[in-house]
Amino acid sequence: MLRSLDQLDPSTPMSAPGSLLQLLSPDGRRVPDPELEPWVADVDPAALAALYDDLSVIRRLDVEATALQRQGELGLWPPLLGQEAAQVGSARALRADDFVFTSYRENGVAYCRGVSIAQLLPVWRGTALSGWNPYDVGMATPAVIIGAQTLHATGYALGCAIEGVDSAAVAYFGDGATSQGDVSEAMVFAASFAAPVVFFCQNNHWAISEPVGLQATRPIADRAPAFGIPSMRVDGNDVLAVMAATRIALERARRGGGPTFIEAVTYRMGPHTTSDDPGRYVDPDEKAEWAAKDPIDRLERHLDDLGLLTDGLRRSVQRSTDAAAAELRRACLALPDPAALSVFDHVYAEPHSGLDRQRAEYSAYLDLFDGSDS
Amino acid sequence: MTALTLAKAITLGLRRSLEADDRVVLLGEDIGKLGGVFRVTDGLQADFGVRRVIDAPLAESAIVGTAVGLAFRGFRPVCEIQFDGFIYPGFDQIVAQVAKLHYRTAGAVRMPITIRVPFGGGIGAVEHHSESPEAYFTHTSGLRVVSCSNPQDAYAMVRQAIASDDPVLFFEPKRRYWATGEVDEEAVAPPLGSARVVRQGADVTLVAYGPLVATALDAALAAVEDGISVEVVDLRSLSPVDFDTVEASVRATGRLVVVHEAQHFGGLGAEVASTITERCFFHLEAPPVRVTGFDTPYPAAKLERHFLPDLDRILDAVDRVMGRANSLSALEVTA
Amino acid sequence: MSVREFAMPDLGEGLTESELVSWEVAVGDTVELNQVIAEVETAKALVQLPSPWAGTVTRLLVEPGIVVRVGSPIVAIEVADAAGPVPAQPPARNAVLVGYGPPVEGGERPQRRSRTALLERHEGPSAAPEPAAESEAAVVAEPGRAVAGPAAELGARRAERPRSTPPVRKLAADRGVRLELVRGSGERGTITRDDVLRSAAEAATSTAPPRTDTGVGRSTPPDETRVPVTGVRRRTAEAMVASAFTAPQATVFLTVDATPTVELLDRLRARRREGARPGLLSVVAKALCVAVARTPEMNARWDEAAGEIVRWRTVNLGIAAATDRGLVVPTVPRANELDVDAIADAIASLSESARAGATTPEALRGGTITISNVGVFGVDAGTPILVPGQAAILAVGALSRRPWEHRGEIALRSVLTLSLSFDHRVVDGQQAATFLADIGAILAEPGVVLTML
Repeated sequence: MLRSLDQLDPSTPMSAPGSLLQLLSPDGRRVPDPELEPWVADVDPAALAALYDDLSVIRRLDVEATALQRQGELGLWPPLLGQEAAQVGSARALRADDFVFTSYRENGVAYCRGVSIAQLLPVWRGTALSGWNPYDVGMATPAVIIGAQTLHATGYALGCAIEGVDSAAVAYFGDGATSQGDVSEAMVFAASFAAPVVFFCQNNHWAISEPVGLQATRPIADRAPAFGIPSMRVDGNDVLAVMAATRIALERARRGGGPTFIEAVTYRMGPHTTSDDPGRYVDPDEKAEWAAKDPIDRLERHLDDLGLLTDGLRRSVQRSTDAAAAELRRACLALPDPAALSVFDHVYAEPHSGLDRQRAEYSAYLDLFDGSDS
Repeated sequence: MTALTLAKAITLGLRRSLEADDRVVLLGEDIGKLGGVFRVTDGLQADFGVRRVIDAPLAESAIVGTAVGLAFRGFRPVCEIQFDGFIYPGFDQIVAQVAKLHYRTAGAVRMPITIRVPFGGGIGAVEHHSESPEAYFTHTSGLRVVSCSNPQDAYAMVRQAIASDDPVLFFEPKRRYWATGEVDEEAVAPPLGSARVVRQGADVTLVAYGPLVATALDAALAAVEDGISVEVVDLRSLSPVDFDTVEASVRATGRLVVVHEAQHFGGLGAEVASTITERCFFHLEAPPVRVTGFDTPYPAAKLERHFLPDLDRILDAVDRVMGRANSLSALEVTA
Repeated sequence: MSVREFAMPDLGEGLTESELVSWEVAVGDTVELNQVIAEVETAKALVQLPSPWAGTVTRLLVEPGIVVRVGSPIVAIEVADAAGPVPAQPPARNAVLVGYGPPVEGGERPQRRSRTALLERHEGPSAAPEPAAESEAAVVAEPGRAVAGPAAELGARRAERPRSTPPVRKLAADRGVRLELVRGSGERGTITRDDVLRSAAEAATSTAPPRTDTGVGRSTPPDETRVPVTGVRRRTAEAMVASAFTAPQATVFLTVDATPTVELLDRLRARRREGARPGLLSVVAKALCVAVARTPEMNARWDEAAGEIVRWRTVNLGIAAATDRGLVVPTVPRANELDVDAIADAIASLSESARAGATTPEALRGGTITISNVGVFGVDAGTPILVPGQAAILAVGALSRRPWEHRGEIALRSVLTLSLSFDHRVVDGQQAATFLADIGAILAEPGVVLTML
């Protein structure tokens, strides 16, 4: 392991051009890779079963949330269908003291970080602008502005380096985000300051309706070395390869080696959000190709090959997913609407005279109406 | 004459502009195959090709900056910023370049760029998709800023904006995209910088623009029950503002209420109230009043109905200027 | 168990309606939560609709192939009423990529929400105290300390300007009315247009020198002369207008043989060695004061704002005087306490001041009833206009020698006509007649005064 890290040369990508780091092929067979294997040597049957449970639960949450949206209980939901392995594999590599800055699609990462199922909902139901306290779980409120979070992760990492602790920051973003100026600026800063940050790009091939080819004419992983950041291109649907790559990047960061860029190649099997119409722009053949590379299917086959896909495991996972779906539905319907005057809360940390007066006037205004609050 | 939604009226206006001048190009995210997230550019790439309706990578600063370059080359770029809250990466290019180039080059270089921006709230959205940033741009010299409120204006004004040799920020009220109205392509369009009295009245002048014009008209209708005659003025142009129209109205009514979704402090309402006070001081029976969003960031979807001025808040302000019982008078009595 | 209807939900792309392509369930089928129950068509694709509840399908409300509007019910499902929150069907909305979308316009007439609490609080005139509670006041809060609502720290406040509106201020400025001296009749003491006009009328007899011409330089047609209306003339005009248009005025006339008074005056003048010699006006003035004692309603005014008639015991007698600048009405204060000689002195003094243009402002204020000596112009009678704020004005016509009935025969007598205008809100016809008759009786036979005091 240590030898691998010492051999890292920032000017060349870690994966050969055009190749993809992989440990599990789409048909569930293990693929040998001497550089990656040691990083997941500890993933024993129990750990594999746990990963399988994670992937299944996250997919089920996605399906249930989509149903809730169709039923008018959520304003929208951004499905991560197809990206489960990229999110679980990387998130399960993190330590509790690491901090992640994500986009709005990383509900799988949130689940793994310890965000409760109920806390996933307020933003999509529209009852609040965030669902949890970032410091409770080491995860910032997901960014809706594309790419902004890469700068935030870089700054956080810089803070860790200044303090001399070995915590790391991870920025999650998509292929579309790599076109935003903020992302390039983040890489400049991260490299110049050797910030302990991992740039984790899920290339799911789509930014709403724009294909990745519009954002990048070469593999996205090829950009980072030009900034002085070593890069890995990994099969995003292979939970083991993703985990290995992320562990490598985190270890490098903790030892003062600076940033790493990971491009997890995957596919957005669902719409951009629940009100999108991908039928207008997605080639059904391409989608079918990717369906054959499903991250959960391949893990299932692998477990089966190992004789681990027992009835017991199936039942246990079924119970997990059913319980998660039920909890999602229950929590969604139980979310209380926010009180009218809370619109004025937390604009500032300290009192603000103008706002206090507006609040008082609006409160008096509401009191005059017959019937309850507005 | 055809009945069109506001969104489709803009589509028609874009189509006619592309037909009329082959230097017109559209540039924006998802405007090609998808036809735009609100379908405003639906069908245009198929008809005019990928060199004139250009899908842009995900980068607002680049969309605007590239448009500057195209304008230098003699094109008439029409940029689409997908949502109001995404305009900020492009803010530097807009205020430091687009707005200033004509001035910087003593008129040698023109920036006939139109930047279309769906804006405003009332669509139950997540953060950053319901902003009203128009005041940042009306405060920037060198830019023209307009906002349509109905399909006929949407059609005519987008054509005028594109035809203008000045850069125009074209704010489209996204919650009104589905509103239908008659669009007459032959109708003579009033000047882009003009306001319009959309409802005549005798007692109060109610000034609005964009998404709140419809709300203002509803308020005027409801006010009939209270025996108050409300005149509604659709500003249409936010920079410049047609103060002559507003002034003539206030000289007749003596009372002014201005409404906008944007936050209160430093909003356009302050400019209108201040200027009208200057010009109409000796005709005012009551101080001008603004009904606006609060001075908070735009809130979560379940709270937006409190943030946005609605019929009741508007009529409470009308009561104030009419000297009738209102929420503020109630406050003073109990104080 | 209860039957619930599931409505066509939002499907994206801004569509407001969609075709129901096929049902995946039939009436009587048991459905599970999220089980696909139908397929509907959007622009390019079929969308599956999951059931929002577990239960039994009781009715399919739409035939396949029918286009359904978003928000219209499509299926009825009987569900077991479970404990827990009932998912309510939200109002139909045009879905957007990023949220619930705007509501579909209903088409109902816009209406205000009712606020009975507000109306109750405002029954009757607002009883607000002085403007101390105004939040617009210049209150300096300590930095960092929130000023919540209308905070008033009276100790730190400066005196505020009088309340008024811009158009009224301009009017006051134009008329030279100082708002500080005006009592506002509007809400919370706001000075109204009427308040200013009334104030201007009351000050109509100010001796401020007329403003200089504002029309200099304007060309006038050859036949026309333009005289700017300023100063005394303006104020008089305003007073006339205010008087004419607020009080309903009527006039009664009495022609009397005043020969005994004329003869009395000769004797009174002979008696007086110093001071002014009493004239007809002095006697009329004294007679008026005696008559006021008998008909006090004549010495009063109508207070509109208070809804009262104000009666004075004192007679401050206005004596209308014509000057170069126009009409002025200085008063003889407490005329009822003066004898005819003192009245004569007072009138003489006022006339002199008026002619010199030196009437003091105090002399012009506080009149309660007025005499106008139109006789000096040779006029017999008139319909004098009330001085605003008074209830009666007596015009004394010229004394002339006329054939009159005297002791049963026609003789040449000194006859004059008295014209009394009065405010009919304050005084009725009988009172006015009695009052005038008393004055006439004294002039016809001064000795009758002994029966009147």
